[in-house]
Amino acid sequence: MKYEHLYVVIEHDAGKPVPVSLEMLGEARRLMDGYNKKYNTDEKVVAVVLGSNARKLCDELISYGADAVIYAESPELEYTRNIVDTKVISRIAADRNLVLKFSPKSTDFAKPRYMFFAADNIGRQLSSTVMAELDSGLASDINKLVISDLKIMHQHKTKGKEETYERTLEMYRPDFSGFLWTTILCLDNRNPDIAREYYPQACSIIPGVFAPIERDQSRKGVIVDYSPSFDPRDLQVKVIGRKIVKSKVDFDSKKAVVSFGRGIKDAPEQNIRLAAELAKEIDAEVGVSLPISKKPYAVSESASSTYMIPDRVVGTSGRKVIPLLYVAAGISGAMHHLAGMKESEFVIAINPDEEAPIKGECDMFIKGRMEDVIPALLEELRALRPKVEARR
Amino acid sequence: MSDLKVAVIIKLEPDFSEGNVSYNADGTLNRAETKSILGPHSAIACQAAFYAKVRFGAWVGVGTMGPPIADAALAQAQAICDADMLHLYSDRSFAGADTLATAETLRAGIAKMDGKMDIVFSGHRASDGETGQTGPQTAWKLGFTFLGHVIDYDVDMDRRVVRAKRLVSLQGFYDIIEEVEAPLPVFIAIDPSYKPHFNTVSQRLAFEKYSQEARTRVANSKQYLKTFNAQELGVDPKLVGLPGSPTIVYKVEKIPKAKASRKAEVIDGSSRDELRRVAAKIHEVLGGMVIK
Repeated sequence: MKYEHLYVVIEHDAGKPVPVSLEMLGEARRLMDGYNKKYNTDEKVVAVVLGSNARKLCDELISYGADAVIYAESPELEYTRNIVDTKVISRIAADRNLVLKFSPKSTDFAKPRYMFFAADNIGRQLSSTVMAELDSGLASDINKLVISDLKIMHQHKTKGKEETYERTLEMYRPDFSGFLWTTILCLDNRNPDIAREYYPQACSIIPGVFAPIERDQSRKGVIVDYSPSFDPRDLQVKVIGRKIVKSKVDFDSKKAVVSFGRGIKDAPEQNIRLAAELAKEIDAEVGVSLPISKKPYAVSESASSTYMIPDRVVGTSGRKVIPLLYVAAGISGAMHHLAGMKESEFVIAINPDEEAPIKGECDMFIKGRMEDVIPALLEELRALRPKVEARR
Repeated sequence: MSDLKVAVIIKLEPDFSEGNVSYNADGTLNRAETKSILGPHSAIACQAAFYAKVRFGAWVGVGTMGPPIADAALAQAQAICDADMLHLYSDRSFAGADTLATAETLRAGIAKMDGKMDIVFSGHRASDGETGQTGPQTAWKLGFTFLGHVIDYDVDMDRRVVRAKRLVSLQGFYDIIEEVEAPLPVFIAIDPSYKPHFNTVSQRLAFEKYSQEARTRVANSKQYLKTFNAQELGVDPKLVGLPGSPTIVYKVEKIPKAKASRKAEVIDGSSRDELRRVAAKIHEVLGGMVIK
């Protein structure tokens, strides 16, 4: 077949895979196991790795579900450079000779059927440029995937008639509100007047959503070495310095997180201050829900630049946190957000609305508005403070 | 005649600020009631272009694909970056475009600007679509080196080279500020944390001069505006709009409420006794203390 296999573009740091790479492999494994059974085929999960002295990673990827690993080795691939990586990955994706090494029957292979990238700040952009080069469709920030035969009726694609598209990847993406799910499809081109073929069907996958499979070191796979060639002009793009930075926001060394959301709306400035005060009292870091990072409320410059920032977002668009205590003040609990906090040890929500989804993810639901609850809670916490200190 | 030509691609987006944004009861955006403005990330891209104007006297063009009312966003952009030219790419046949087809329209539009561009800026991502794909795909179609998450940049005019600082996050590991050097032309997707700096007296004077010029120009922004339909852009109809889009939106549904994973104890927020119990619980959870 011209379009076969599922390619997963792996991200790693000097040979150590970033978690989303193994998560993508896990989901790829589950999908292709089901696919091969349903369609009675033997299509592969293929990991694509670019690196310098990172070959040891290939065995690990096989133990996490890859049938084959295509490994491009060069000192030029030590750090990611979009223009360089895009060309290497695109050439790999269209190289039949590489495929024949792990799938000898793929004699008319042209491009992968499906392709996964990480929806992080490398993969989002890399997926965009690779798919522009391969001239096919891409959906971003996906958190659910299904392969099925779909009956489609579409104004342009099917000219309003119903047609079946087999083996279609349904790519679900939550929208910015976290309340709507949009399913994106990349449908092969059936219009003979347009000389384009919409493969692979590609997406970027949100980190932290899918589970890796259990590591199995007895799994067998094929490692295919690939020697990339480079365009000299692209190598003029040079990484001339790298400095590791620590964010001012530190979720990891704190035992608690106090987050706030759109529930601050009636008195934004005051409510932000209350959330910050509560955080200070219990030595917590301050988090926010995604809508807050879009600065929807007019507040002082210091409140805005300190708190309404992407670095503080808890959820799939930001950080996943697992503190001992998570306090969600004025947060309704969109799926986005819940995914980032639901593994916390103990969760307290402050919300006037008992129907809010956060109620299903908390241990104590304090019914009330944050502007009323937090000042009283602060007083109670302070009243207990001497007692607690005395016992330490 | 400037030695540096820069373009900015922008987007008209829903205004998420208080008083302008409207949400439905179920938490989704009420698009009919929400106003539209120049997207906040687009505005930051305009600041980056204005930096090129102040530092290097760059020629600046701004382009957008959208309905006729998107000219308002172009005027807002001109106020920020003192644009020399405003482009609106507007045609019914562009409607329904996915990011690849949008990138094709923008590529054709940028090619219609004043000769070959040296730098094209875009925002980080739109506030509504949030894919972040259109910028890099436009870059690729232009054949420009793409630099994403740029938090600072400068141009070495003698060597025709851009030096940029980029923010790279490796999930679960750490953030890196990476310094890169790339020959012009480049496409820069600007990071939300970008802030231009004007440090010397001459830079501040230039800043004042061009800010003044921007105010004058915005008052007559229509004079700077050129609108292009598909034919005028010379795009292949098979590469734009619905025909040019590999992807479709198959369905939109409400995300089902997840099954409750915890059984919450409901606390009356107006009861001091109950809040005292919450406070004790907080101390217990954090300190391992049980207070009776």
